[in-house]
Amino acid sequence: MKSQVKIYLTAFKNALATRMAYRIDLFVSAFIMLVFELIIPLVTYLIYSSGAGFPGWKFHEVFLIQAVFLLSKGITFPFFAGIVWNTITQIREGTYDLLLIKPRNILFMTLLTGIDIEDLGKLLGGIAVFIFAVSQVPDPGALNWVAFILLFVCSVIVFMSFAFIMAASGFKWVGNFRVYEIFEALTSFAMYPMSIFSKGVQILITACIPLALMGFFPASLILGKPLDWLLISLVSCVFFLVFSIFFWYRMLRSYTSAGG
Amino acid sequence: MIINVENLCKTYVTYKRGHTFWETVKSIFVRKKILVKALKNISFSIEKGELLGLLGPNGAGKSTTIKILTGILFPTAGKVESYGYVPWKQRKKYVAHIGAVFGQKSQLVWDIPPLDSFYMNKAIYDIKTADYKKRLNKMVTMLEAHEIIKKPTRQLSLGERMRCEFIMAMLHNPKIVFLDEPTIGLDVIAKEQIRIFIKEMNAEGVTFILTTHDMDDVEHLARRVIVINHGQIVFDGQMNALKNYLGTKKVVRLATHEKLPVLKKRGVENIRMLSEYEAELELDLAKIELNRFIKTINEKNTIRDISIHEPPIETVIKKLYE
Repeated sequence: MKSQVKIYLTAFKNALATRMAYRIDLFVSAFIMLVFELIIPLVTYLIYSSGAGFPGWKFHEVFLIQAVFLLSKGITFPFFAGIVWNTITQIREGTYDLLLIKPRNILFMTLLTGIDIEDLGKLLGGIAVFIFAVSQVPDPGALNWVAFILLFVCSVIVFMSFAFIMAASGFKWVGNFRVYEIFEALTSFAMYPMSIFSKGVQILITACIPLALMGFFPASLILGKPLDWLLISLVSCVFFLVFSIFFWYRMLRSYTSAGG
Repeated sequence: MIINVENLCKTYVTYKRGHTFWETVKSIFVRKKILVKALKNISFSIEKGELLGLLGPNGAGKSTTIKILTGILFPTAGKVESYGYVPWKQRKKYVAHIGAVFGQKSQLVWDIPPLDSFYMNKAIYDIKTADYKKRLNKMVTMLEAHEIIKKPTRQLSLGERMRCEFIMAMLHNPKIVFLDEPTIGLDVIAKEQIRIFIKEMNAEGVTFILTTHDMDDVEHLARRVIVINHGQIVFDGQMNALKNYLGTKKVVRLATHEKLPVLKKRGVENIRMLSEYEAELELDLAKIELNRFIKTINEKNTIRDISIHEPPIETVIKKLYE
């Protein structure tokens, strides 16, 4: 484990040094990412300011769901999620070979390529939005904060599982860059209160793909709202992670490299 | 034996479509599946410390062989044991003992100095700091790379970059090193420097498997050569045996004082006319004796200069590919 941490830190240092080679581009990209992440909370604010809203949910409550989602995304994207684009590119170019000749777990080696420094803008945005959102709601108490951290870890796990599945699809369907748009469409369900969806969608985002864990459940815990379907979502989260890893290795068998 | 390959086969699926607009549209819905037999029952073994040249035309199966031997690809059938491991089954343990240099795929990170990439390999291979420093110093000295390892990779020339690729591939002291066109695009001096490095490392006991289209590399480095064509081994033997493959054939460069006539004799093939007075010919000594050939020329011409040598290795390889 110590060795893995050392490798990850070295890879992070190299990724930072690589990105610092084009500093202005890095800062502009990170700023754009930060601003871009604020669009959905802003739209929600506009909806509520115009007198509309989600029944049973006040603005600061919906804002908290979105803040949790953005914070989770802000952690996943700079540290892991780059594997989607990098893996798909490496598979297409045949340079994924270079990872396969390293004496480490291939999924871990792939994760090292997923460090995306400019996505730190997402993390900064996530932290800022989360701090602001939490300051608008009553303190839930120490115990609930501990439970929140556990649910938040699950939120990150769901993000990571998505990243594994999207990246792995590139082994079979080479050059599958559009997969990210499917991810964006699906995860948009995670940024709103579950009660606004039909029963079918609620089952889908809790029992099948635990999207509700990405924002709704952790935020509901802080807000003291009912946590129906939480247990089934947690079980689904474990299955989703196991499935994503299984899917990764299954798809890896389809890797054909490129001619050379 | 450090590597043993038995009846190795690799078949993969590819898709074919025509170039017309209609065929392109049709390929969205239906694609013609084609089974490609990249390797057909190939068997060979390699001794520890060998420097083997793996040759073949494009698409012959060289890279597929290398990819199976490095654990990158699964074979369809057959057995491989390399350094006591089955590469694709025990990949993680096995690859700790091998190194690879791909002439067309860089292991260095483009925007940062090679030294940073070396540190990455130090962490990945868990190389002790003392060993790392010792090996780095040794290779940096051998390849005269003291300054270049500190410059961003993108600012290095191809030759400088390749020197760094070699350091990167050998920092962890691999027992077997796979080289896939390591001198592609390099100038004469850079090639020579790389060749000397390979020879010195080989003298220290490292086994090298070299695939290349550069016959100079093969002649300078390989003692044994395997030629693959259409997924099958068409030659496996010592370099000298490869040179003698064409047996009785010799290349004659002939210059005369008078204009040379077109020579139409059994056992004589005109390779090219260098001028009206000079030509390069291929003689088959089984069909025409050298004395008789010289006598025939002297009957009508006066020989100004003549040189006789073995056919170039390219000619031998070309014959094997045919």
